[in-house]
Amino acid sequence: MPAELHDPPVLTRAEHAVARALAETARSDEVYPRVLAAIGEALGWGLGAVWEAPAEPGGTMCCVATWHAAGVEAGEFEALSRATGFGPGQGLPGRVWSSGSPAWIAEVAEDPNFPRADAARRAGLHAAVCFPMSGPAGVLGAIEFFSGEHREPDALVTATMASIGAQVGQFVQRRRAEQAVLEAAELKRAMLDASLDCIVTMNHEGCVLDFNPAAERTFGYRAGDVIGREMAELIVPPSLRAMHRAGLARYLEGGDARVLDRRLEITGMRADGSEFPVELTITRIEVPGPPTFTGYIRDITDRKAAERELRESRARLVAAADEERRRIERDLHDGAQQRLVASALGLRLARAKMSADPAAALEALDQAEAELDGAATELRELARGIHPAILTDGGLEPALAMLARRSPVVAHVSVDLGGRLPPAVESAAYFVVSEALTNVARYAGAARVEVRAEMRDGSLALRVSDDGCGGADPAGGSGLRGLTDRLAALDGTLTVDSPPGGGTALRAEVPCG
Amino acid sequence: MPSRVLIVDDHAGFRRLARSLLDAEGYEVVGEAGDVASARIAARELRPDLVLLDVQLPDGNGFDLAGELRAGGRGPAVVLTSTRDAADYATRVQASAAAGFVPKAELSGAAIERLAG
Repeated sequence: MPAELHDPPVLTRAEHAVARALAETARSDEVYPRVLAAIGEALGWGLGAVWEAPAEPGGTMCCVATWHAAGVEAGEFEALSRATGFGPGQGLPGRVWSSGSPAWIAEVAEDPNFPRADAARRAGLHAAVCFPMSGPAGVLGAIEFFSGEHREPDALVTATMASIGAQVGQFVQRRRAEQAVLEAAELKRAMLDASLDCIVTMNHEGCVLDFNPAAERTFGYRAGDVIGREMAELIVPPSLRAMHRAGLARYLEGGDARVLDRRLEITGMRADGSEFPVELTITRIEVPGPPTFTGYIRDITDRKAAERELRESRARLVAAADEERRRIERDLHDGAQQRLVASALGLRLARAKMSADPAAALEALDQAEAELDGAATELRELARGIHPAILTDGGLEPALAMLARRSPVVAHVSVDLGGRLPPAVESAAYFVVSEALTNVARYAGAARVEVRAEMRDGSLALRVSDDGCGGADPAGGSGLRGLTDRLAALDGTLTVDSPPGGGTALRAEVPCG
Repeated sequence: MPSRVLIVDDHAGFRRLARSLLDAEGYEVVGEAGDVASARIAARELRPDLVLLDVQLPDGNGFDLAGELRAGGRGPAVVLTSTRDAADYATRVQASAAAGFVPKAELSGAAIERLAG
């Protein structure tokens, strides 16, 4: 071994070369080759390799980088190293990994624990040195060097290499920690970006620190335009700003957390000043320094609209049921009840006149009889209107046939259902067709109407189409709105297609699941 | 006993039977009306002693018309009638200007006599 290679100035130069390599390397995948070259060139070793210890217990060390000096031909040995894994104590790197101390082999071919000996001989390698790459958390790996010459162990070189190993280890560990932080930040950014909910972060002065893409879409601002500005004047409606500011001030003074960590329904404001309902949860982010708050905001316009529609539809159904009862009471009172009372009076009158004035008694009996007949007819009609017995007894097919027979406009019915349907579906379908036929007779000016009922994908598909004048209100008028509500309660739909001059087609679909 | 009667009801069959019934019991039915408007005119022109008045009329209700006919505590006695039961109207009959209420099915000269005699 040339004497100058273990001279203190040479060793110091090697340490400086490594320090420079570490300082100048930005990318972590460039660190190992540069460190290997710096050491190898400064201390005259022909070939080097870096081994990393596994991240998980039970794994083996892997060769992650190799370097060789110009003119050294050791491709086979380098390839073998890269393909080999060493457990603790195995081979040169495993030995160093286990002991945490440098190891020196003067002649690798003669070493009992050097599995790569054959390849080393073919590559003309003789001496080897290996030292741990260790950081505060322990041994991260090992760095080994080979020489084409026989070299006896040198304490000074070994000590220098141990010092360099600690230097590299600290660097690698710091770099890994930075990488982990970076990845966590990237992950957090990706989560914020991918969120469907608006996520807006605000500092203790009420200024926006972060505004994710969902917030940009929902409120109509660019993040770059709002960061640093007071959140209240951006997305809080004017009517709520004073409350918002007072709430923040109260919290900062005394920690009154009445709005934190709860789901609130409140009003938000877009960039154009329009207001809309939002669901808001505010949490305090635990960071050092003054409090920081994050708001999770969801536009609930659609949900509110759906809720309102559901409420209104439910109210309409209840109102329609009430109205129906009022109508039945009125029909009974004005019709059958009047006639029955009149009939009773007629019978009383007949009895009173029986002996004195038989002709008048007979006339009273005639009237009583006529009133009874009228009452019976009206009761029959009323009962059918409430719920037709034929629908209960026979199902939709005969009930629709009955409606067709009673229709003033010639109606043709075709029904293909393959059996009975749930009672609620049959009733809804019956009243849809009944209402449709009434409308056709009243407004359509039609000569003919087709009624078709069939099963399609587990749903009842109903179609009532006429050849009349068309132009019907697509909203369908109040009668059809009641039916729409009734169908909606069964998850069904009702549509009206009525081009002027093109007849009217009413379609209903009701799932029968 | 009030003898001159005006019958106000929108059901012609009832008016005819009520007239025969009251006739048979010695009342003189001086007129009939089918709604509030014609009842007002008939009451003014015929000056009946008693009005048999249906509660529910096409253009108004008997309670209001009774108040009109009995304005100032004068005018004909009013007996309300309906196919509904008195209980259906709760306290509205007592609160009205009418002398009383008789269900249509129980109509008779004697019933009217009891209420308005």
